[in-house]
Amino acid sequence: MEAKRVETVSGRVDAAVSSPDSVEDELELSTVRHRPEGLQQLEAQTRFSRKELQILYRGFKNECPSGVVNEETFKDIYSQFFPQGDASTYAHFLFNAFDTDHNGSDFVMGLSILLRGTVQEKLNWAFNLYDINKDGYITKEEMLDIMKAIYDMMGKCTYPVLREETPRQHVEVFFQKMDKNKDGVVTIDEFIDCCQNDENIMRSMQLFESVL
Amino acid sequence: MAAGVAAWLPFARAAAIGWMPVASAPMPLPPQEKRRGKDALIMLNVSGTKFQTWRDTLERYPDTLLGSTERDFFFHEETNEYFFDRDPDIFRHILNFYRTGKLHFPRMECISAFDEELSFFGIIPEIIGDCCYEDYKDRRRENQERIQDDEESEQNNDLVAADLSFRETMWRAFENPHTSTMALVFYYVTGFFIAVSVMANVVETVPCGLMQNRVREVPCGERYALAFFCLDTACVMIFTVEYLLRLFAAPSRFKFVKSVMSVIDVVAIMPYYIGLVMTDNEDVSGAFVTLRVFRVFRIFKFSRHSAGLRILGYTLKSCASELGFLLFSLTMAIIIFATVMFYAEKGSSGSKFTSIPAAFWYTIVTMTTLGYGDMVPKTIMGKIFGSICSLSGVLVIALPVPVIVSNFSRIYHQSQRAEKRRAQKKTSLARIHAVKSRGASAFLQYKHSGLRVDQDEEESKEAGQALVCNNNPTFEVQRHHLLHCLETTTNHEFVDEKLFEASCKEVALVKQASRSSSISSSSSPHGLSSCCAPRRKRKTFSVPNSNMSVGLQGSIQELSTIQIRERPLTNSRSSRSSLNAKFVETVPLNSEQPYLTAAVISVPTTPGTTPGGDDSASSTDYSQANIVRVSAL
Repeated sequence: MEAKRVETVSGRVDAAVSSPDSVEDELELSTVRHRPEGLQQLEAQTRFSRKELQILYRGFKNECPSGVVNEETFKDIYSQFFPQGDASTYAHFLFNAFDTDHNGSDFVMGLSILLRGTVQEKLNWAFNLYDINKDGYITKEEMLDIMKAIYDMMGKCTYPVLREETPRQHVEVFFQKMDKNKDGVVTIDEFIDCCQNDENIMRSMQLFESVL
Repeated sequence: MAAGVAAWLPFARAAAIGWMPVASAPMPLPPQEKRRGKDALIMLNVSGTKFQTWRDTLERYPDTLLGSTERDFFFHEETNEYFFDRDPDIFRHILNFYRTGKLHFPRMECISAFDEELSFFGIIPEIIGDCCYEDYKDRRRENQERIQDDEESEQNNDLVAADLSFRETMWRAFENPHTSTMALVFYYVTGFFIAVSVMANVVETVPCGLMQNRVREVPCGERYALAFFCLDTACVMIFTVEYLLRLFAAPSRFKFVKSVMSVIDVVAIMPYYIGLVMTDNEDVSGAFVTLRVFRVFRIFKFSRHSAGLRILGYTLKSCASELGFLLFSLTMAIIIFATVMFYAEKGSSGSKFTSIPAAFWYTIVTMTTLGYGDMVPKTIMGKIFGSICSLSGVLVIALPVPVIVSNFSRIYHQSQRAEKRRAQKKTSLARIHAVKSRGASAFLQYKHSGLRVDQDEEESKEAGQALVCNNNPTFEVQRHHLLHCLETTTNHEFVDEKLFEASCKEVALVKQASRSSSISSSSSPHGLSSCCAPRRKRKTFSVPNSNMSVGLQGSIQELSTIQIRERPLTNSRSSRSSLNAKFVETVPLNSEQPYLTAAVISVPTTPGTTPGGDDSASSTDYSQANIVRVSAL
């Protein structure tokens, strides 16, 4: 690879903003061919090393030559990782969680938080994922949606057999644990408090440190 | 799974973070990573054309030549590169396969050269991407057919094996006259006699000169009545014998009797026998004469001898609707014009247009531009409408004919294409199926081997457990770990589809049997039946609680099959030995604790069921019963 091209490597993966309309995508493709931000800039902003950023971007650009990741791509990727079930709903929630301010912020930033951030930041992100309408509260309905999306990924052929109430029961368990003041919603403070007191969760959060 | 998806692994792992707060059990530890050396560029020299790529790219497919140590055989020390004495143009596609995970087939290339290169580099052609796969298959099939034709024409005179029964030999002889000399003789003899019979029928009616006591000329049939009768008898005897022989040899007599050719045969010989039976009664001889007309059907027996006739017949049958349309439009036009002509010619004296049906004849003759002239309009209005009639006749007849022709060609090509597509669809579905099941099965195999071994993939590989077949092992291990995390989060596991169905049925039977001893919680039969319901008709199930909801997961992907998953329990190991033995001993019990507790949580039942379930399970010794028991828990 030429040095120059290596220089311009980055993970500026912009989501095709708002609409996943494929027609619009085609029109926008010529303009939305992404130039990545400088490597140094990203290095400063994220917690990845230069080498890791290179590897990330290279692998990503190979897969997605146009540099655009929209929701469809997301769903596609996850369905390849989890072929037994239907990963599209969860991919949808994930996509919304990455794109926090909905104006095409970097995926790499999100990845940097998730894979290299402090536990606090990770929990923040998880809360953001669960809070679908981003109002600062996780309601039972939102949690149920998320739970169903997770169980959808398992598919049908599970053991023990997946039943209709399993997600709901799981949500009940979750709320019993998290909702301290029993007001039917989980706020971010309750969430973080509870997670920090739970050993399993804290340990699990440390799991994914490496990039590849 | 495309190895390129490995690039998305960070995203998938990020997704896993979303499951953490939800899970109630600790996540499995991630696999250790090998210390990876710096990624090196590899130089490939293919007959002078140089290609360069990362070593990792090549090692994505470790069971091909380039991805394994086999390439070391081609290492050239002096130039520090790998030299291959092969076609560089085709190599380009092969290298692209490593880069993108998709193998394309170049249309300009010869199929056998391409196949050779693929086999040299250890790549199976089934990986060819969907965009090029149809083309590849077509070319391959053509090639093979060509080879087969060559072989067949050599083998054509080989005698067939003598293991066919006499009856089958006869049938083959009848259907395919080229198989033996006897069949050929028979074929020609019957053809000759058909021709003779038809000729006799024709010549019978030719006037043959005067006989003594007659005024007019008599037809030859009457003059040489005896000769013709003998000829007819001989022909009919031959035809009868042939028909009976065919009937005897036919593999399915009923089908044979129903077939068109046999009907023609019967119709051809019936008049003779009926004539024999009937006496010279004047009343019936009129009817008898009509019957003799059917003798002309003997000419249709020629269709056995001519493939072209058969094809024509099939064409007419398949274009029946268009022919019907032609007829219908013609009839409409005839009626319209006949009516008009009748009323136009009503006034004139001595007109032949005495009624509308009489005018039909004029209309038909005019529209088909025959114009016999036996009926002509005399009034001016009649002539005007007559000319309009003849002009429109040309149009009305000329229009549907191309429709029929194009229909025929469309139907013909369509059937060709449909057959091709059907054959290819099966193979492509099978391919997708295989890839998905391979991915899923690899995961389950990993689970057991991974749990036993201390996250050291080398060791498990040496132990003979094939982790993956075709894909990047590092990546696969990571992916399996993710799937494992998902299982832990949801407290459910992936199982084999067949076992899943079997366990559904077993449980349903068990439940129905032990319904009396039942179950305060409505959830167990509920859930189990509801899982099976999409698979069977619901009417056959009488579930105690009928308020079950359909469909666990709406997206039943028929292509996702997953391999065996056994749930080892302490008191069931012995009976499990018949199954995949390596799984049983390898799983340490303490790691199963979360599963056990999970089972209790997710499927609550009364203790009363448990002993009942145990009993029923212990009585049956299949491994599936163990699944039954556990799920009944």
